[in-house]
Amino acid sequence: MQLLIQSIVTGILLGGLYAIIGVGMSIIFGIMGLTNIAHGNLMILSSFLIMVFSTQFVDSIIIALLITMVCMVILGFLFQKFLVNAVIDKGDEPALLVTFGLSIIIQNVLDLIFGADARSIASDFAQVNVVSTKYFSISGAYLANFIVAILVIAALTLIIRGTYLGRAIRSASDNTKAAELMGVNTKLYYAITMAIAMLTACIAGLLVGNTFVFYPYSGTQYLIIAFGVVVIGGMGSIVGTMLGGLILGLGQLLGAYFFGTGAQILSGYIIMLVLLTIRPAGLLSNAKRK
Amino acid sequence: MTDEVILRIEDVDVSYGDFRAIHDVTMDIRRGSITSLIGANGAGKSTLLDAVMGINKPQKGKIIFNGEDITGMRTSMIVRKGITMAPEGSMIFEGMSVKENLLMGAYIPEKRKKKEELIERVFTLFPVLKEKEKQLASFLSGGQRQMLAIARAIMSDPKMIICDEISLGLAPVIIGDIFERVHEINGSGVTFLIVDQEVHRSLENSNYSYVMVKGGVVMSGASAELPEDEVKDAFFGINKYA
Amino acid sequence: MNRTEIKEARKTSPVIKPVIFAVIVLALISMPLWGSRYSLSVAVLVLLYLSLAQMWNLLSGYTGLTSLGQQAFIGIGGYAIAVTTQAYKMPLVAGFIVAGVVAVVFALVISAPIFKMSGVYFTIGTWIIAEALYIFFVNWKFVNYGIGYPITAAYRIRPEVMYWISLVVGLGSIVIVVLVLRSRLGLGLMAIRDNAASAEVRGVRLYRSKLIIFLIAAIWVAITGCLLFMNQAYIIPSSAFSIDWTIAMVFMVIIGGSGTIEGPVIGAIVYIILRQYLYNFPGISNIILGVIAIIIILIAPKGIMGFINKRFNLDIFSIRRKPKRK
Repeated sequence: MQLLIQSIVTGILLGGLYAIIGVGMSIIFGIMGLTNIAHGNLMILSSFLIMVFSTQFVDSIIIALLITMVCMVILGFLFQKFLVNAVIDKGDEPALLVTFGLSIIIQNVLDLIFGADARSIASDFAQVNVVSTKYFSISGAYLANFIVAILVIAALTLIIRGTYLGRAIRSASDNTKAAELMGVNTKLYYAITMAIAMLTACIAGLLVGNTFVFYPYSGTQYLIIAFGVVVIGGMGSIVGTMLGGLILGLGQLLGAYFFGTGAQILSGYIIMLVLLTIRPAGLLSNAKRK
Repeated sequence: MTDEVILRIEDVDVSYGDFRAIHDVTMDIRRGSITSLIGANGAGKSTLLDAVMGINKPQKGKIIFNGEDITGMRTSMIVRKGITMAPEGSMIFEGMSVKENLLMGAYIPEKRKKKEELIERVFTLFPVLKEKEKQLASFLSGGQRQMLAIARAIMSDPKMIICDEISLGLAPVIIGDIFERVHEINGSGVTFLIVDQEVHRSLENSNYSYVMVKGGVVMSGASAELPEDEVKDAFFGINKYA
Repeated sequence: MNRTEIKEARKTSPVIKPVIFAVIVLALISMPLWGSRYSLSVAVLVLLYLSLAQMWNLLSGYTGLTSLGQQAFIGIGGYAIAVTTQAYKMPLVAGFIVAGVVAVVFALVISAPIFKMSGVYFTIGTWIIAEALYIFFVNWKFVNYGIGYPITAAYRIRPEVMYWISLVVGLGSIVIVVLVLRSRLGLGLMAIRDNAASAEVRGVRLYRSKLIIFLIAAIWVAITGCLLFMNQAYIIPSSAFSIDWTIAMVFMVIIGGSGTIEGPVIGAIVYIILRQYLYNFPGISNIILGVIAIIIILIAPKGIMGFINKRFNLDIFSIRRKPKRK
């Protein structure tokens, strides 16, 4: 019983982390119809950058995060402007393959520089139990993940729904020609969207690095999680990613509870496949179907 | 209305691959006028309008708006010069509310400051949009969509509005209503370039007309003086226009 | 040579073409007699990767089924040969048969869910299946968990025999693609691909056609997988179900030219030569491949073959249809 409650609590909190891993991928898909295969690798790249900055150059993890954000926003903007924008009008496949190429480059560059060792981002509170009851306990890292996820998703929702920036981004995805006619430089907004997605990837990179160890090749594993979150919630639905994260997190932990820890990741994959089969466009979908 | 030209299209060619969609098109649109662009499907009207708006790029020729060469500019820059379009099929933002659609019309930063004033003006012109202000645009009827598209164009406080296929699929009563609004807006000094499927209505509602056949201009002049029968021949591609 | 001369040359090709083909095939069959041991081993790799590339191209380039999960079938093939020959001491032939049968059954089982997915959902769905299979094998006692199997049966095969089997698989993949494309199945598929509207109308036939092609690719990739792991003589889940296999397939097809038969041939040769060369730079070889792939997509989206076609108006196989580009 105790273990079951602990599994459910951990599953929900883990779901928050999964949501923030997926949210960047979701807005990229929702706005420009692009499946960014490099999303997981970009997130792990942020983890490495934060680790390097926080251990080598600055004392504070927050400052390391901010520096990383600047780097990743520039990288994301350039990547979108010079590579993806060049092929995005030629159908889904070329753009998908460009991101695929980037993902290979990132993980191999990381491997080249850092080697295959497990890394982590150390913080003071990560392993401390901040809540501890008879039935369950919550570690600082997990609680932080969940709170930050809710804050980020709420902030993104506000930006997309209520600001001129958000409206311009939505108009570009709603009807590209009409958006141009309103004076929106749609390709510029694609690049801005990519930059915003990079910000979420940096935050996710910090949280993942603070919660688990990571390797140069961890990106693939998190890409699949991001994809799972996004397909369960519906590509392009920001609120849906929270739902997707929770379902996936809970599913994994309950899978582990009932079938053993070896089944944790597998049960996540199976949930994704089942949901993809019965709801091929996600539970809360408002995706742009090209 | 003056004799001053606000939009000059000079010897423009647009091709898609090997296909020359329009060739040697020259037009002068006078400031403050309503000008009709008449032609059958495939005559090249939309291609020409898209070229004016920078959606496609001419291979040859010049487009001058308000004294400034806008040939080959990005659409989002051209809009900033004070010319905008209510495109064919209205192309409203389906996923946004009516109000949000209007706000998108005033997207250009210098117009945003005036957005309250502009919205008031739009709501006076189209009271139905005020009623539906908070509704999702995808729930609007065909006529309301067209009104929203024109209203959204007005929100950028333009000098000139292009309306492509202004009456497509609409009931006659609503078309009449929309043209009334067009004349009202025109009264405040906004130039219109309009495409309508119906020859008689096009001539009746405009000061000047251009007739296009197979990618070229075959006839032009004051709408009241153009022989309607001959325009119809051109439109349907019969007699000497076959 | 200018254009008209090329056209003249092509007019005579009905006589010349079979002769050239015959010479090439004879040269390939006799390669163990004149080639060095090293060139033979490289040729084996080229032929096996050619088979992978042809099958991925059949799926993605011609049928629109862009799968990132073909490594599932490579793993199935590799494990089929390992388990039958190692754990059950059966002959190699049994391994090939088991590989084909298991691949078909598995492809049939997964076809029900994944054919409901379209576009990118299909692409990622196939990938998730391959990853799920990997995790499953790591936790599966029957296949010796993550420790894997040696494939000692592979040592009993002489290099030239290995080469000839690979030749059959490699050239066979070309023959399969040509036959499929020339059949009513292929012609129908291409009609569907080139005109999306009619695709809806012919939904049922489309489903069946796609399924048949998916199954053909599954069998052939699994058999290629048998040979690839016989070549390595050891199999573990992380190498069996590695995304690197699919990376290679994508790379070869993009480089060579998607939606052409010659493309994967060129792609496989370029890929293996590049890889042999980049062997000296272990850390950066994949980085270079990634960079090359991106550059090719940006500057020559139809690959080397597309470039040649455009430039020289060459057409080696008569079944050549340009992939639809928006």
